[in-house]
Formats: sequence, C-alpha cells, structure tokens
Amino acid sequence: MAAPLYTTDSGLLFHAGKILVVTVGLPARGKTHVSRALERYLRWMGVKTQVISLGDYRRKTLGGAQQLPPDYFTLGEKTPETMRLRESVREGCEGLIWKFFETGGQVVIYDANNGTRRARKDLAEKFDKAGIHVILLESTCDNEEIVKANIRSVKISSPDYKGWDEEKAIEDYYRRIHDHEKYYEPVEETDWPFIRIFNVGDRIEINKIQGYLQSRIIFFLMNIHNKPRTIYFARSGQSLIEHSYKADSDLSPAGWEYAERLKDFVIQRRKKTLEERGIDASESRLVIWTSARRRAHHTAWPFLTHASNPPANLNPTVAASAPGSSTNSPLLGALQTSASSTSLYSPSLYPQKLQVPRVPHLMLPPSTLSPALALLPPQQQQQLLSAPQTQVITQPPTPPPPQPIKVKVIEKPQMSEINPGVWDGLSPDEARRLYPEEWERFLKDPYAFRAPRAESYHDLCVRLEPILVELEREQEDLLIIGHASVIRCLLSYLIGLPASEIPAIEVARGDLLEVRPASYGVHSQNLHFWDGPGRRGAARTRPSSAAGGATIGTGPGAAGAGGAGRKGEALGLSKLRDLELDDSGLTGEGAEGEAAVFEDAMDVPPEEGGADVDNGASGDATEDDEAGNPNNYYENYAEDTRGKRKAGMSALGLSI
Amino acid sequence: MSSTERRLDSQSAVASPHPVFSAGSPLLKKFDETSAASRSRQETATPPRSVVGIGNKVAKPDYSEAKIVLAMVGLPARGKSYLSNKLMRYLKWLEYEVKVFNVGQLRRTRARQQAEQSGIKEDHSAKYFSHNNEEANRLRDSLSEDSLDMLIQWLKDGGNVGIHDATNSTVSRREKIRARVAKEKGFYLIFLESFCDDPDIISANVDLKVNAGDPDYKDMSRDEARRDFLRRIAEYEAVYQTVTEPNLSYLRIKNVGSQVTVCQIHGYLQSRVAYYLMNLHIKPRSIFFSRHGESQFNVEGKIGGDSLLSPRGQQYANTLPALITDNIGDAPLTVWTSTLQRTIQTASQLPYNKLTWKSLDELDAGVCDGMTYDEIEAAYPEDFANRDDDKFNYRYRGGESYRDVVVRLEPVIMELERQGNILIIGHQAILRCLYAYFHDLPQADLPYIKIPLHTVIKLTPKAYGCDEERFALPIGAVDTHRPKPSISGPIPPPQIPVSTTGRDYYGEK
Repeated sequence: MAAPLYTTDSGLLFHAGKILVVTVGLPARGKTHVSRALERYLRWMGVKTQVISLGDYRRKTLGGAQQLPPDYFTLGEKTPETMRLRESVREGCEGLIWKFFETGGQVVIYDANNGTRRARKDLAEKFDKAGIHVILLESTCDNEEIVKANIRSVKISSPDYKGWDEEKAIEDYYRRIHDHEKYYEPVEETDWPFIRIFNVGDRIEINKIQGYLQSRIIFFLMNIHNKPRTIYFARSGQSLIEHSYKADSDLSPAGWEYAERLKDFVIQRRKKTLEERGIDASESRLVIWTSARRRAHHTAWPFLTHASNPPANLNPTVAASAPGSSTNSPLLGALQTSASSTSLYSPSLYPQKLQVPRVPHLMLPPSTLSPALALLPPQQQQQLLSAPQTQVITQPPTPPPPQPIKVKVIEKPQMSEINPGVWDGLSPDEARRLYPEEWERFLKDPYAFRAPRAESYHDLCVRLEPILVELEREQEDLLIIGHASVIRCLLSYLIGLPASEIPAIEVARGDLLEVRPASYGVHSQNLHFWDGPGRRGAARTRPSSAAGGATIGTGPGAAGAGGAGRKGEALGLSKLRDLELDDSGLTGEGAEGEAAVFEDAMDVPPEEGGADVDNGASGDATEDDEAGNPNNYYENYAEDTRGKRKAGMSALGLSI
Repeated sequence: MSSTERRLDSQSAVASPHPVFSAGSPLLKKFDETSAASRSRQETATPPRSVVGIGNKVAKPDYSEAKIVLAMVGLPARGKSYLSNKLMRYLKWLEYEVKVFNVGQLRRTRARQQAEQSGIKEDHSAKYFSHNNEEANRLRDSLSEDSLDMLIQWLKDGGNVGIHDATNSTVSRREKIRARVAKEKGFYLIFLESFCDDPDIISANVDLKVNAGDPDYKDMSRDEARRDFLRRIAEYEAVYQTVTEPNLSYLRIKNVGSQVTVCQIHGYLQSRVAYYLMNLHIKPRSIFFSRHGESQFNVEGKIGGDSLLSPRGQQYANTLPALITDNIGDAPLTVWTSTLQRTIQTASQLPYNKLTWKSLDELDAGVCDGMTYDEIEAAYPEDFANRDDDKFNYRYRGGESYRDVVVRLEPVIMELERQGNILIIGHQAILRCLYAYFHDLPQADLPYIKIPLHTVIKLTPKAYGCDEERFALPIGAVDTHRPKPSISGPIPPPQIPVSTTGRDYYGEK
C-alpha cells in the first residue's frame, strides 16, 4: 500500500522529513527484533534507514560485558569512571546518528533502552530542535515466558557472553534486567508521538502519529509476529509461450510434470520440517499463493487434486464440484469447495509410465505465416512450426508415500510478473533495434528502468508491497508459486538485499527456496528438486550468493543448506539419468544445453554439501539457450548476465 | 525532439510491430486451437480448463472465512455512524459483504410501527435515555440484543462484516455482546470506540444531528432539540465507561485519528480496518477527477495504448488550469497522473505539484490493447459478448479485470483518504473505480459509470457521503462510453447520485 516512491528535492522520500525512532524497553523485550524488521521494511521501500544500536557500539568500543566495570549496568551509584564511560558511549552513538542524518539518511532507529523519561526528553528535544521528527517506540512485555524465551534464544548467544556457562549467563542477564527494572519508566508522557507494543503485538497504543511514512510504520508493526513458520518459494512451471506476457499461456507438458514434482517435494519437505518441530503435517494447513497468471495458478493444481483426491472419490462433493465448476475459472471454483478438505493420497494418480504427446504447436503451413510470426527469429519460427512427436517421461520408480494434506490456494492479482510493456514478445535483438535509447538505459539500470508501458522492478516492488504486509501477517506455512521477478522482490525483502541487487537474484525453476524467519533475520536455503525442460529462463548454475546455496541470515545456528539440498536434488537427478531430454515444443533448442549442465551437476559428489555448483558449462549453455529459447528476457535479463554481463551480452550477439 | 516523439517516430519507421500474441494477430487463435489439443491427455485428474480467446470471467475471491462483528462504542455525537458508514463503503468496495445494524434505526422503525398500529407514540426525548428509567433501559437493552441477533443471523447467511452501531457504553453491555458472539464458532468480535473530547468536533456533530431532520426532533424547535440532545448525551455520560477491558479486542480512536489504541487485534482484515481508520481525517477538502484530454486513440476508437493528445485534447489541457484555479483559489492542491503520456500531457500546464502513479495507469486490455471494439468483436464475437455479460469480473487475457483494478487502486484510496485537495488526471476505468468508492455504487454498475471526456468532477466529502459538481468544458470530444448492450433495448446508465450526504434514519435506503 505504498504510495509511489518519489524523491523530493532534499533527496528524502514521501515528503516525510527525517525521522528518529527511539526504542524504549527493558532488555530482552524484542527491541532489536522490531528494529531490524522495521529497518528491512523501510530499506526495501527505498528509504535510507539505519539501526544504530547502543549495545553494538558499546561492544565495539569497549568490548564484551566481562571487560566492563561491575557497576556498568547497575543504574544506581556509579564510580566517576563508569559514568564517564557510559557518557562516552552515549555520545559516540549520538554522533553516529547525526552523521547518518547529515550524509543523507532519512530514518534512524536508535536501538537502546532509553528507560527514563529524563533521558528520552533530553534526546528527543535535542533532535527535535534540528527539525527531526522523533517517535518513541516502546516494547513492553509482562509475559515472563516471552522474556525467558527471548533470553535463551538470543541474549546468551550474544558476544557479551561468549565462552560463558549458559546458566551463569542467564543469571547474569537477569541481574542486569532487574537493575534496569528499578529505574524503568514506561512511556506515558504524551508530549511526543509514541507507539507502545505490548507482548509482541497483543496490544498497540499509538499517540499523535501523523504522516504517511509514520502510519506505514504502524501498519507494518501491527502485522509482524515472531511465531515459527516457513515460507517456501517456487517458480511456476514452464508455459507454452514463455516469452509473452500477454499470451498468458498455459503450462507446457513439462510444466505440468514440474507441478506434480513440486507438490510431492513440498509435501515431503514440509512433513520433515514440521516433524522436527513436533507437529503433525496433516493437521497443519499449507497456504499457497499464486498469481492470477495461468502458468502460476495451474502449477498449484496438483496440490488441490491431492487434497481433494477426486479419482478415489472419497469425498464426492468435492470431486463433483471441482472439475465441472460453472465459473470460467475452474480452479477458483474448486478452491472454494476444496479449500481445506483432507483426504488420502491415491496411488492411481501416478502411473509408472506416462505417455505425454508432444504438443503439436502451431502447425501452420508456411504460406499462412503471419507477419507477426515472420518477425520472430528463424529458430523460433522453426519451433513454432515443428512437427508433433511423442515424448516418454519415465516416472520415478517409487511414488511418494500417502500423505494427507490441508491446503488453501489463494490467487493474488498483484503477483503477476513484471510487465514488459511494448517489449512483450519481442526478441532482445528486436527490442534493441526498435528502441535503441531505451535499450541502452535498460542495460545501465535494470532496477529503475521502465521500458515503454512496462514496469520497472521498482514499480513491481511498489505493487507488491501489500503482498509483503500480508506475508508478514500470515501465520501458517506459506508456499508462494510465482514468477522469477516477483520472487526476487519478495526474497530481497526477506533477506535484506539492497534494491539495486534485485534484478540479479537467481531464481531457478526446479529449486524450492525455503525461508524461515528468525530473530535477527531469516534462515534461507535452496532445495533443488527438479531438472528438466524449462529450468532455463532462470539460472544455469545453482543459485549462489543471494538466493540460496549458503544459508543467509545473520542469526546464529543457521543450518548448512547443502545437505538438505542434495537430498532434494538426488530425487531429480536419479530420474533424469533416464530421461530423454527433449523439450516440449517452443523451448526445444535449450534441451541439449540443459543436458550438459545436468551432467556437470551430477559429477559433484554429494559430500561437497554447501558448495555451489558453479559449473563452467554455464556460459556455453547460456549461449545455446539465448539463441533458441525465447524466455522473458525483460524479466530475466539481469539474471542471465549476473556478474558476467559482458559474456552475457556477447552470448546475445550484441556488440556494445 | 523529445524522446517520446522520437520513439513514436522510430516506431512508425520500423513498421510498428503488432504485438506477436495480440488478439489482432491470427497467431493467437492458432495457438489456442493447437494447445487445447495438447491438454486432452494431461496427467492431472481434473485439469483446469484450457485457455482460449481474449479473456474470461474471474470468480470472486473467497472471503467466507471472514466473520467479523464490529461493535461501536461511544457517546452520541462522537462520529460513530460516520466511521461505520465510511468503513462500510471501504470494505464493500473491496468486495466484502458489509452491513450496518443501527440500533437507533431499529428503535425509530419499531416506534413508528407501534405508532401506526396502536397510535401510542413512545417518548424518545432525553428521558428515554436516562439510566434511571428502568422501563426504557429494558427496552433499549432488548433493542440492542435484537439488533445483534439480526446481525449474527446475517453473518451466518453469508455476510463478512456486521457493524453494530450503538453506544455500547458500559462494561456490562459489552460483556453481554462478548458472551453472545462467543457462542458462534469462527466469529471475531472487535469493539471500535470513537472517543472525542474536542469541543469543536462535538459541537459540529450536535449541530449536524439537530439540523439534519432527525425524526426524533421533528416536533421540536432547533434550540429545544439541541437542549434535549445535549441532555441525552449527559445521560449517557453519567454511566459511560471507556473500553479498557483487557480480554476484548478493541480499537480506540481519539479525536478522529489523533490517538489510536489497538488492542488484541489479530487477522489481516482487522489490521486493515485499523490502518484505514488511522488514515481518516475530517478536515474539509475536495477531490477532483478528470480524464485526460481526448487522445489520438480516442479519435481512432482504439482502446489502451499510450498515444498523445489530439488537437482537441491539447485544447482541453490548455483550458484546464483556469478552471481548477477558479475553483480552488489559493488552497494547496496536488495533481496525480498516471505514467501514460496522455495524462502527463493533460496535466503539464497545471501550476501545482504533480505526482505520477503507476497504479493509476488505465485498465490493461491485454491482448486487445490497441484494437477498436469493432475489431475485437469481429475477431472474437463470443468473448466480446461475454465481457458485456459481466464486465466487472471479466479479465482480458494477459490483462486485467475491473476487479484487478480495484485491488490495485486500494493504496490510492488509502492515500486519498489521508490527503487534502487532490486532482486526479486519470483514465475512464480508473476513475470509474474511484468514483464508485466515493459514491458507494454497486459493482455491476461500476463499469458503466459515465465519466465523459473534457469534464471535471468535483467531490466534496460530507458526513454521510459526497457532494458532487460537474464542470463540462465546451470542447468537443468523442464519446468513449459503451452502454451495456441488451436484447430488450438499451438499459439507462445507473443514476448518478447528486448527493449522497443525507443520513438514513430508518435503514430503508
């Protein structure tokens, strides 16, 4: 629900001026969690935001708790040296705040206890005089359970207690809190705007908050929670016409097969994750969001058929209403009836061997070639006119075990892929020829550039903002079946990447991205489960820095992604050894390139775990692919050329 | 030469590429025919229907899980009905089923019935509202309970949000409501307290009450009415308890937005309601709508596109600043446009701050973009008829439906509520959606609202709706309005309400 971002003359967004958010609260009340979440959100909206943490600053300048004088954390009588020490830390921190504002920063979140009215008043007045809007953000908690959990999970792993005995650390920490409690004054002064959050969002009090950015901050804070859950991302299956936005084409046979594999893999993966937490997967609902594009919501279809299981007819009402629904969007009709139905898996759905006729795409005699078709590059024409064949897909020998699921699928119209505008359906070459100026600018800045009538990634982020708040709000496990551009934006928010990196995040079809929010960030890993036609249009290599492979997140105990990823991959690879890698129709040429990559990937011993498979073949493969497989390059261009833009361009046959 | 001109120039030079999969190209039809064949042996048990043609109807999102009782709390003249009506309009626009159950309306209606049947006229002066009047207390309690029962029944019959518009001013009354709603599975109860101690706001609300023709005061002079109403408020004040019960979900709004307390509010819709209420204000202002001046595409009868203005459209752009300035005087105003050339060009001479919104771009006609209606009808006659059948829910292939546009405009509405004077230079479908929000028009009528070219619509929000003025400039333009075709002759377009600001005292509208 963000207004479009606009920068005023001063370089600040939303005419909001500069804002200092002063956190208030006893230790272990979740101040840092809230500060970091807010920082992530505001940065994603393009607001220059910085958390300045008094604790971090103190640790950096003075060292851990052991190096401090014993009266450092007691608020009572202190020796003059301790007073001086504290004063210097406070001043140093405030210096950082001023510096950030002076160098063009817009929002500072000052993460400190600020437990007395006096201290808050001094601070607020100082900044208010300089025209900076001050908001107090108090996090209070009278639920002992929450506090304890917080101490255990976060505080004793802090650098202050490095090398300490756990119980001793907890004891020490409690003492620190206790001393604070004596002097703590909750925010009751109404002369400053404030937000008070009780027990992690159970109750929120708001005073005199005005301004757009400020009200957005509140709406955001109302929606965040810290309950454990998992967010999965997967791309939609391959569609018949990958490179056209307007055609809104359906899944290709490979896309349908992908959808089945995705369902199996998610169900298995989720069962395991939930079991680790002691939860019965059949009791816990999975919410699936798809865009309103056909390739995306049809990719969710197997989940629904699995949940309602029409062939076994265990649930006649559902089975009857799902397929023949009178609405023209049968999926939606089915959703409403089968939303949370549970039933047993039926093996009859999974034949051992399956004949999928190769799609007789567009078998037009050459004479009927339309002018539009003539515009396509020759290989593409060739594909469009290719003859039908039959493709044999061997199913994995063992079907997944029976597994009842509860699922709800929701279609979100805001989640369509980035709109390529007038470039829709054009080849890169045509786009460059017809729109030379725009093409130059597109190459220079793929994040901010908007092709004529198209969306920029920036526009896309603005469009997705309501989705993001809903994402924060959602408490059940969530699977987002989407498009690469949409997944990139959402992922960059969750991981906290700068906006300019968004177009370069690699999101491969056949990878399941698993994101688990944690206190100070997220744990994310990349689970590879499928290799097949149409994996391209995305990464040739395993995603590396941004989207996966290694665990991302600042928190401790992040699990290595490799091990789990390999398991998923094994499923895909064992199957692929026997698979005839012929593509289905429009994306045919890419297939050989694919095979080479798969061979490379298989040569990597599974023990290598977290290391990314950065295979050398990718460059060549890209070349093959770009020539033959017209993917939506407006969506994928930056990704295709990530980190090796030159190579990528030469692959496109461009001389720039 | 601007880059726009150059682009147009280069486009025409290189034989403007018709989008490859446009509805105007035979490729799309061929593709549909062949891909439909490929679907026949899909491994999915019940494959969703194949894609053909230029679009289809989209079913309404499933809101069946939302069952919310929103009970108002507050003294009389604190803007409870204002807030509940406003909220109703917003949520209905977002396609939730919302209904306000006003206990005052029920009381008046029943009293009127009783008066008609038996001739006995119940006394509804301040005495009736005294907490010492036991008989009246009992009557008022039972009215409130009946109203709540009606609300709950309505939710069971498919409603999403029922607003219980009453004072609910004591802890015990609220406890009764809580206990009643708790009996229903899956219902969620929120109290919304409108607290006000700003004498100016109260006084304005009291004036509105006694001057607006409230039947409670129809036989009294204004002074008498005012005195009686103030006594009524005093009777409530004597027993009023602000919401602080820790076991309740509540939103407490002080002086329309200056201070908000949000307690135990969970759920997405609930937090949206809170966010919406936080953004409301009651300062006087006006909202102006204008379409862009007549464009080249308008003249050619084409939809969509990103063409420039026609000479007449340019003339409109030249004349617009004088009209707006005459109207607004020195008051501050911000102009919002879409990112399309024709709106930016139309706004170019306005001497105000301008802001470009991607979300204000015209409805995306997908594969039909750049075609005339005749061309579409010729290429896809059946689909074309389908769209007329249910225009609101029809999504162009590769494009949008009116519903999609409503979803995309939601942030715009939120921002409009927060702002002062705004002039939107927009597009036909976009302005229809925004207009329907301000006038609470039903979905089925929304795609047929008349928003002519070269006309400025001025909306001034009032307590229970909007006042409207239209200024048509005498500059000719093509008519782009397509009435809903019908076998039984043309149906007249929906009546445009001249003013929807009147209060409904009996719940009959």
